[in-house]
Amino acid sequence: MESERVEKSVLSPAVKVLAEREAARLLEEVSGLTAVVVATVDGFDIASAMREGDASRVAAMASSISAISGVVSQEAHLGRGKSVTIDTEAGFAIVHAVYRPDIDLVINLIADGNAILGQVAYQATQFAKTLAAA
Amino acid sequence: MTEYKILFTGPMGAGKTTAIGAVSETPPVITDVANTDPGHGKPRTTVGLDFGQLTLATGDRVRLFGTPGQVRFDFLWQILVRNALGLIVLCDNSRPDPLADLRVYLEGFAAELKELPCVIGVGRLPGHPAPGLEDYADELARHDLVLPVLDVDVRRRADVTLLIDTLLAQIEASLYGE
Repeated sequence: MESERVEKSVLSPAVKVLAEREAARLLEEVSGLTAVVVATVDGFDIASAMREGDASRVAAMASSISAISGVVSQEAHLGRGKSVTIDTEAGFAIVHAVYRPDIDLVINLIADGNAILGQVAYQATQFAKTLAAA
Repeated sequence: MTEYKILFTGPMGAGKTTAIGAVSETPPVITDVANTDPGHGKPRTTVGLDFGQLTLATGDRVRLFGTPGQVRFDFLWQILVRNALGLIVLCDNSRPDPLADLRVYLEGFAAELKELPCVIGVGRLPGHPAPGLEDYADELARHDLVLPVLDVDVRRRADVTLLIDTLLAQIEASLYGE
């Protein structure tokens, strides 16, 4: 069994504040967006803005989706996973990875039928870049 | 040739990923990530699923799946248990209340356990003798279950094989009648 080495990084409060602010702004400004959740890769929500739903459930699901997509891209030698889009009858969800030096994060954007996939995907990428650099 | 799907579950740190890695003939699929939970000392934790494969002496194939341990991933428990022919619950006797841990999975899989063969593997028993195997049996009895409870070290291939063999014996008994 691997050694039980504890070396946990703690996300800086400034990043959390930035994530909260950006999540609220996106929910407000992007048409059709119903939830924005930023989570750690192990499924804890660190920031969220939602019209409905449970941020902690979304966070856990986003981390699972991101991890599973990660092994798929690894298996296919496609490099690190960047994003997953779940397209549905009534909207879509985008899960986007954020690679930071301290703690990797996952962004989950959920949108209804009024949203434009390209626009939300672009916003997800921009948000990920902002959080990666923060 | 029969194909079996069996599912490993149990609390974080009980050794589900280790157990599958110990017996899988193919490199296991592992979805572990950095653990940020300050309540757990483990550096990494499974958030998706584990997957491994094993061929038995009979030529039968066993597909091994593992769940994340934490309750916040219980939506995956329900997905992963679909079509499983048996369940292995791994417990960690070094945790503060291993019987309470066991209850979480007995309740999480309560509907399935009415039919599904199951074996309990208790780890880290030598260094942490209480609760004993009989206490586990008593806890199971409180849930109207009679299941094999084994002392295991999941780092040892033989111990994991014993768990799987015990489960397969249960599965065969339930498939073909006792």
